[in-house]
Amino acid sequence: MPIKILSVDDSRTIRLIVGRSLRPYDCILCEAANGEEGLVAAAREKPDIILLDVTMPVMDGVTMLTKLKEDPALKSIPVIMLTAESGRDNVIHIARLGVRDYLVKPFKEEQLIDKVGRIVQLKRKEVSAPTAAPVPAV
Amino acid sequence: MNVQTPSLDIRHYLTGHLVEVFETMLSMKVTPLTAGQPPVFIERVTGSVGFGGDTVTGAVYLHLSATFANRITTAMLGLPPDEAIGETEVNDVIGECTNMLAGGLKSTLCDRSYDCAVSTPAIIRGTSFVIESPQDVQHELLIFDYDGVRFAVEVHIKFNQTN
Repeated sequence: MPIKILSVDDSRTIRLIVGRSLRPYDCILCEAANGEEGLVAAAREKPDIILLDVTMPVMDGVTMLTKLKEDPALKSIPVIMLTAESGRDNVIHIARLGVRDYLVKPFKEEQLIDKVGRIVQLKRKEVSAPTAAPVPAV
Repeated sequence: MNVQTPSLDIRHYLTGHLVEVFETMLSMKVTPLTAGQPPVFIERVTGSVGFGGDTVTGAVYLHLSATFANRITTAMLGLPPDEAIGETEVNDVIGECTNMLAGGLKSTLCDRSYDCAVSTPAIIRGTSFVIESPQDVQHELLIFDYDGVRFAVEVHIKFNQTN
C-alpha cells in the first residue's frame, strides 16, 4: 500500500520540489495551496503524513495545525512543518502545537526524505529489469 | 549605510543567507561583491516580502534581470536552461526565493526580541523603477555575481524602539 502524503504550500515551486523528491518512492502525493484547502484535503484523503508550510494566504499553517489537532479524526496525522522561519521562538511555538518535526527552507531534497522517512516507511519503487536489446543477426 | 541592531549586522547576515539559499536550492555558487555599481536591468523582476511588528518593520527585495530570473526558475524546477517558462512559474520561484531570504532575516530578528511577521511574496516587473522609503528608514543594497551576471538584494528596515 503506497504511503499517502499531503503537501500544503502556497508555492507551487515547493510542492513541485516535494513531488520531485518523493518520485522514487512508492507514495501518493496530494496537494493543497493553503490551510483551508489543506484541512479539506486531510479530511478527504486521510494522509499518512502532512508537509505543512507556515506563511500562506487564506489560512496559515499554524492555524491549520491548530484546527487539525482539535479534530479527533485528524489529530493523529503526523505533521512536518516546512518553514522559512527558523527562529527559536517560532520553533518552540510550532513544537508546542504538536508537530513531529520541522524543516527549514532552504533545504536539500535528501533532508526532506530523511525527515519523512523517520516518520513513515518510504519504500523505493520497484524498477523493472531493463529489457535486453535484441542481438543483431550475424 | 551598515544597518545594525545591537547584536546583528544585517548586511553580513543577508549576504551569508543569500549564498546559502542559492547554493542549497539552485546549486549556484554566487559571489558577494564588496564594491561596484548596482546592476542596471533592461527588464527587471523584483521579488518583495514585507515584515512587521511592534519594534521593527521593513521589506526585503530581490532584484534580477528577467533573463536571470528565468535561469533561476529553470534551475529550481529542474528544467533544461532553454526550456520555455511562463511568468507564473517565474513569479512563484522568485517569490519563494525572496520568502526564504525574508524568513531567515525575520527569524534572526525575532531571536533578538524584534518580533515580527512576514507577508506573502509579491512580484514587481518593469523596465525602470526605484523603490524609495521615508528618510527615517534604513537601507542596505547588496550586490552579487553569478557567472558574470549581477543581481542585488535590497533591505529597507526601521527599528521603532531600542531593545
